[in-house]
Amino acid sequence: MSDYQYDNQTVKGFIVSSIFWGVVGILVGLLISVQMWKPEMNFPPLFTFGRLRTVHTNILAFGLGVGAIFGLSYYILMRLVKRPLLFPKLARVQLYLFNVGILLGGVTLLLGMTQSLEYAEFEWPIDIAIVILWVMFAVNVFGTIIKRREEQMYISLWYIIATVIAVAVLYIVNNLSIPASLTKSYHLFAGVNSANVEWWYGHNAVGFVFTTPILAMFYYFLPKSTGIPIFSHRLSIIAFWSLVFAYLWTGAHHLIYTPLPDWIQTLGIVFTLFLIAPSWGSVINGYYTVGSDWSKMQTNYLTKFFLMGITFYGLQTVQGPTQGLRVVSQLIHYTDWVPGHVHMGTMGWVTMTTAASIYYVIPKIYNTEIYSEKVANIHFWFVLIGQLLFSITMWITGIQQGALWKAVNPDGSLKYTFLETLTRNYPFWQMRTVAGLIFTVGMLFFIYNVYMTMRKGKALASTTA
Amino acid sequence: MEEDLDNIEAFEAKDTGRKLPVGWLILFWGLIIWGVYYLVSYTPSISGWSQSKAYEDSVRK
Repeated sequence: MSDYQYDNQTVKGFIVSSIFWGVVGILVGLLISVQMWKPEMNFPPLFTFGRLRTVHTNILAFGLGVGAIFGLSYYILMRLVKRPLLFPKLARVQLYLFNVGILLGGVTLLLGMTQSLEYAEFEWPIDIAIVILWVMFAVNVFGTIIKRREEQMYISLWYIIATVIAVAVLYIVNNLSIPASLTKSYHLFAGVNSANVEWWYGHNAVGFVFTTPILAMFYYFLPKSTGIPIFSHRLSIIAFWSLVFAYLWTGAHHLIYTPLPDWIQTLGIVFTLFLIAPSWGSVINGYYTVGSDWSKMQTNYLTKFFLMGITFYGLQTVQGPTQGLRVVSQLIHYTDWVPGHVHMGTMGWVTMTTAASIYYVIPKIYNTEIYSEKVANIHFWFVLIGQLLFSITMWITGIQQGALWKAVNPDGSLKYTFLETLTRNYPFWQMRTVAGLIFTVGMLFFIYNVYMTMRKGKALASTTA
Repeated sequence: MEEDLDNIEAFEAKDTGRKLPVGWLILFWGLIIWGVYYLVSYTPSISGWSQSKAYEDSVRK
């Protein structure tokens, strides 16, 4: 049928790299979860909580997340435009640079080199490398789309385009800084401006790394793996444009009750609440799609991954905006509720959907079937239970923390000391480590399954060649 | 290795492809109307509300 050769090697390279960085990031996550309740597990100066926490977030967001996004976006892109990448060699160089960059990024964070901006901790030389990496990605994505052999652009392509543009703008602007030396720089913006730009970036990193590219995967791999067409193309397009229109205004909801001018906070809250509509546009589109043939939940093992993923996306996009409301923010802001919220998104939506996409792609690339659907089902239940336990535990302790902080005596003095509010978290933090372990075991089943599928595929290839 | 090309039409349902569910439209417009209300109520230069005034009120109680 096809006379083109898709560049599967680069796609595979990105997937394997992202899984590798995923393992590193998850193990670091487990260690820092222990450090929260067992201080002896800090090994100064390199392996303390303060340094490892940034390694955890950056390696998972940029290593696991962006790595998978590069690989799977290329996979989706080539198939939807019906042609190979315009610059396959450039994509290969991008793969190598990506791994060198993540390695350097992780090591410099361990050494304590940081810009002290959340999710933008990498110092300026690494930032430059990341910008070069992103330009390579952009050149290939746009070049390939311009030279496409299919007129109509499916919704996944729009989400990929939004990812490329938005991340470029956000990353460059927030990382503008004045270098003082090779390893130290100062943010170009000062005081409240710095905070505002930082959270404009920080929140949209969530929007354009953990949302738009994952929706591109969802809209592509759900119909591909189930054979059911997307319920409404029109709904997907309207949801897309309203999402990208609203997202970039929402960052100020991270700065409720701060010196940021009141009107900016209010504006941020308004756009944040509006975001429920486009997010739920994708959620109900997913549900109506699978709803046209529920038997797929039983007959196709990937359906439940995608449906559970979009379910957590739906919950996340109601919980998140609710947190933006002043009355809710004053209780849960700065508490452990927030990591509970973030991990529902990353473990429940992003990792679930990405893993399902990889399950679909790897057998296709190796021209074989998945090694074991049973192992995939075990993986599903472990990560689901681990994630739920993690999120719920953190929500409970977050509300407790917020309530203790806010409790005052009749004379207006605080009822509890900071230490009292802290030690009450210990049992919940211990439970979180258990939850993390369950999730990690699930991910090990996933990796084992992917590895065995690759081995099976290689064995097949060598016998037929 | 050969691979079938994607058929773009297979991705989009023909009978429901242009549907916008009513419930979703209510949510969409409802949030816009709520947004206008909230913006008016909590913008200091429009309604006179401010973060610091709200705080002082809560302390006085």
